[in-house]
Amino acid sequence: MEETFLQKRLRDVAAVLVVGIFMFPLFWWALTSFKPTSAIFDKDGIVWFNFKPTLVNYAVTMLGKSRAELAIESGNTFGIGGASSYDSRQTIIDSLIIAIGATALTILLAVIASYALSRMRFRGRQAYLNWILSQRFMPPIAIIVPVVFMFHSMSLLDTRLGLVIVDTLINLPIAVLLMKSFYDDVPVDVDEAAMIDGATRLQIFWRVVLPMVKGGVAATAVLCFIFSWTEFLLSLFLTNSIRTLPVKITTFVTSTGSEWGFIAALGSTAVIPSFIFILLVQKQLVRGLTLGSLKE
Amino acid sequence: MVPHQVPSLDAQSLDAQSLAVDLPVSDTPRRRAWPRFLTSEHPFPWLAPITALILAFGVYPLLYALWLSFFKRNPITRMNVFNPTWNWGKLFADERVWGAIGHTYLYTITALLIELSLGLAIALLLDSDRKGYGLLRALMTLPLVVPPAVTGMMFLLMLDGSFGVISTGLVSLGLWPAQHPILASGSTALAGVLLADIWQWTPFMVLIMLAGLRALPKEPFEAAAIDGATTSQAFFRLTLPMLSKIIALAVLIRGVDLFRIYDYVKVMTDSGPGTATETLTSYAGTIYFKNADFPYASTISLITLLLVIVTSSVFIKLFKVRF
Amino acid sequence: MSFKKFDQQTFIVDSANAYTNRQISKREFLRRMGLAGVGFSAFGAGMLGNPRGLRNGNLLGTAAYADGLPDNQAKWLKDVGSKFKGAKIRYSTESTPPSVVLNQIKKEFTDPTGIEVEVEIVPLEQVLAKATQDVQGQLGSYDLYYLDQSWISMFQPDCVDPVAYYKEKPELAMPDFDWDDFSKPLVQNIAQVEGKWMGIPFDIPIFTLMYRKDILEKHKIAVPTTYEDFLAAARQITEAEKGNGVFGTGLQAKSGHYSLECDWSQAVWGHGGSIFNKNKRFSGNDEQGIAGLKWYQDLLKVSPPNSTASTWDGQFEMMHSGQVALVQSWDEFFPGLDADDSKVKGLWEPAKPLTAKKLRPASEAGFNEQPNLGHQGGSCISLSKYSKNKEAAWIFMQWGCCKEIMTRCTLVGGFAPMRNSSFADPRVKAKAKVGAGTTRHLETVKWVIDNAMATEPHMALWAGLSTNEIPTELGKLLTGQEYGGDPKKCMDALAKDIDAKVKDAGLL
Repeated sequence: MEETFLQKRLRDVAAVLVVGIFMFPLFWWALTSFKPTSAIFDKDGIVWFNFKPTLVNYAVTMLGKSRAELAIESGNTFGIGGASSYDSRQTIIDSLIIAIGATALTILLAVIASYALSRMRFRGRQAYLNWILSQRFMPPIAIIVPVVFMFHSMSLLDTRLGLVIVDTLINLPIAVLLMKSFYDDVPVDVDEAAMIDGATRLQIFWRVVLPMVKGGVAATAVLCFIFSWTEFLLSLFLTNSIRTLPVKITTFVTSTGSEWGFIAALGSTAVIPSFIFILLVQKQLVRGLTLGSLKE
Repeated sequence: MVPHQVPSLDAQSLDAQSLAVDLPVSDTPRRRAWPRFLTSEHPFPWLAPITALILAFGVYPLLYALWLSFFKRNPITRMNVFNPTWNWGKLFADERVWGAIGHTYLYTITALLIELSLGLAIALLLDSDRKGYGLLRALMTLPLVVPPAVTGMMFLLMLDGSFGVISTGLVSLGLWPAQHPILASGSTALAGVLLADIWQWTPFMVLIMLAGLRALPKEPFEAAAIDGATTSQAFFRLTLPMLSKIIALAVLIRGVDLFRIYDYVKVMTDSGPGTATETLTSYAGTIYFKNADFPYASTISLITLLLVIVTSSVFIKLFKVRF
Repeated sequence: MSFKKFDQQTFIVDSANAYTNRQISKREFLRRMGLAGVGFSAFGAGMLGNPRGLRNGNLLGTAAYADGLPDNQAKWLKDVGSKFKGAKIRYSTESTPPSVVLNQIKKEFTDPTGIEVEVEIVPLEQVLAKATQDVQGQLGSYDLYYLDQSWISMFQPDCVDPVAYYKEKPELAMPDFDWDDFSKPLVQNIAQVEGKWMGIPFDIPIFTLMYRKDILEKHKIAVPTTYEDFLAAARQITEAEKGNGVFGTGLQAKSGHYSLECDWSQAVWGHGGSIFNKNKRFSGNDEQGIAGLKWYQDLLKVSPPNSTASTWDGQFEMMHSGQVALVQSWDEFFPGLDADDSKVKGLWEPAKPLTAKKLRPASEAGFNEQPNLGHQGGSCISLSKYSKNKEAAWIFMQWGCCKEIMTRCTLVGGFAPMRNSSFADPRVKAKAKVGAGTTRHLETVKWVIDNAMATEPHMALWAGLSTNEIPTELGKLLTGQEYGGDPKKCMDALAKDIDAKVKDAGLL
């Protein structure tokens, strides 16, 4: 159906409006990160732009600057945290390491397992698939206590490896589901043709099929990364000195006031790495999410 | 997207001649280096690593949690005493559990309905190849990458009764009484939490719907247009049914996650006011953190798991979801 | 709590550090000191010529308060402490002033001893959760615990008796530690369970009355001294100032949060009731308890609607932004109200807490509960039995709680100290004026500690009851979710639940 000129314009306006509404909280958040505290909590009304912008929040969280130096200059922070406890650079690095590690491990395991699930028919295949997927049903709270004790005896508590393992575990169901449907997209005949040429399964997998699902791998990787980046509950309990981003932000709530400025600054920064990742694999992500269902 | 092409392996090409000539299978029996089940032909080596990981870190903790639920905790000695019916009996008598179950289902179903319809609507809106729409679609994915704990704090600030931009905005527009801050009033607190969830996850639905829409074949629509169908007729008779499989799968995935919701409730209302926003996982969390009653917390989590399994099985059967 | 002043102190510390490390010149240092409002006598400035000339060998944190540890203690720190060089100790704490300050100056400990200290600062609920997890599995992930007084019963079996340990290990004992210097009421109520020591008192937020001098004068209201006066004054102010968005009082009444339980128990005590009676039954539903709850409900009607979603930091925000005029709450708020960028600087005054017609004597209350006028929320720092670095942690614990360091924490933060000597220290007295980091409320606070300190019951279930069952049911009542506004119904339901749990735990 061809749209009339008016319909086109209306659609444009509506689209921009809708996206604008969704962007508003992010905009507000970023705005807050530049406000001094008195502008965040003004009892007489909401402050939109009528404030002196300050870089204090970013300096403290991102650059580890002593808030005292900056506070003298701008004179507009409150709270009792020492400068070191807000420095979040290490947190971002740790979160990145863990997210990348978990993504890599998940992809590794899922790519291999899903190939078999897609290509090989064996008794109990559907049951096995159901079993893997049911892992996603588990509320993380159920497994905190046993996992803590297990990790303790394996010396995995408070290690990045430990978090990588649990994040992987939680990502696997979706990763397997997605990868299987990407493999299903690739006709079995491709495999058979290669088999006729004398290739072993392993070679078929590595040389022929896997390169064909590159897009799918990218899409799965993005979802795994996002999940790991944002995971909160298990990260809280399985670590003491290593803080991932979401956990760190909750520590900005002190006994005499939440440091909203810092929360806003760190929160705004938290968005960036994931977003970059998404932009890079955007095409595959959208393609990949058909989940193969349309072919049926 | 290119429709599925099937290279034809019909009877003609599969005659004995071509096979006999081309197959490089030798006549000498091969000596097996490995036992059958370890070769790459057999599923075992492919599935072993993942199975091991899940058995160790997924199944074992679950069994432990189950085992724990049969013990009663003595708060003074902090020892657990074997008492298989204590926690389970307590669970069924605990009205907070029933309240939590109710809230969890209410939350899940409402969020699903809204996210689904909004997601579809926005996908339809943004499904255009005109300039700038690519950027709009990319922007739409931004809410997904914010950690839920941060989203919770974000909305907490915006909905604050005295200083929040959304709250004061509503009040000044006369749409909301100032005496009932959204998150502090029993009747509206759940709505406030839902707002955070909807903001964050509608984009997920949008992405899925967009992918589905883009994969739809053009011919049926062209045929319908020739036959004089209106836009809405085409939508309801063609688009929806063709998308139904994807919608079902998306509902399943999102629904399971919604059922296990924790971050938003914990950060924004901490199950309050009263118990108006208490969901199953947040109640389990309360028992875990505040009362340190691990066996009972395990029991509540197990019930959550059970409910998810039952509900999703029903859903899968009903809507014939396949994967 | 001092905000701006703390930043200033940190600025001084950092500059001193930079000077000691030869990153800035003496001239620059003096310029910065001038900027920070610190003057140096000729003698002092002369001493700057040789940074190594000062005691402890560095200027860290001492530029403005140039007393270091006394020599014998400094020597002890170096000699005994360095035996454990390379150890790493860890402790998890709420973000209260003393912990934060300790975190800031811990370098003064690490430098002479080589023991590294890691402080994990998290919100209070997480502290409880992680400490619980640690003792449950005897994991030893923490060497020191920060324990709120409402949890000490629960954790007592896991902590080392510090006084006994001090005597047991004289080779590790800090000279002149002076156990008697700790304020007796504090020791009894936050560091001892059934008369046995289990930790060292560490911080003491305590309820007292605070009021806006200017608003009370404007409406010609006398400073309230009784609970009825308070309610009447709050009503009057809210009525008169509605148009300006100012309320008589603000509450920390968030459902399901410990802060609500604190407000409630104070209301109950102030009306002559108690949480448990001498038969160890819940008595919030007796006549006095209901009277207290009714009073609280009336207060809520004249408070900002956000009160039911606010904990202590929300309440502080109300005071700091000028939204309320009268509050009976944590004294910790006070220094922050006088911060340099505060809208209400110098306008708040401390006063003694509201008096009760008749307090229930402690003998009538259960589980060592002490009904009184000033609810305390103090904490102690304890040594974990499961620690893998007990001795190193013990050294740190003594250092952190010694006279000089505790006084320093008070000076930097402006909050109530644990030791009598700190209260009397001239440096502390000198800061008793309006301005960031003020200590002008300390005299009132000391009075409350010595005369009117109220303590919650000490029993194994209390941590859970005070953070879950009680504030949740109260929240249901106050937000109208259940009980139809009837306090008796709510309290009766609680009584039933709590009595059953107590009985079941075998505590009756």
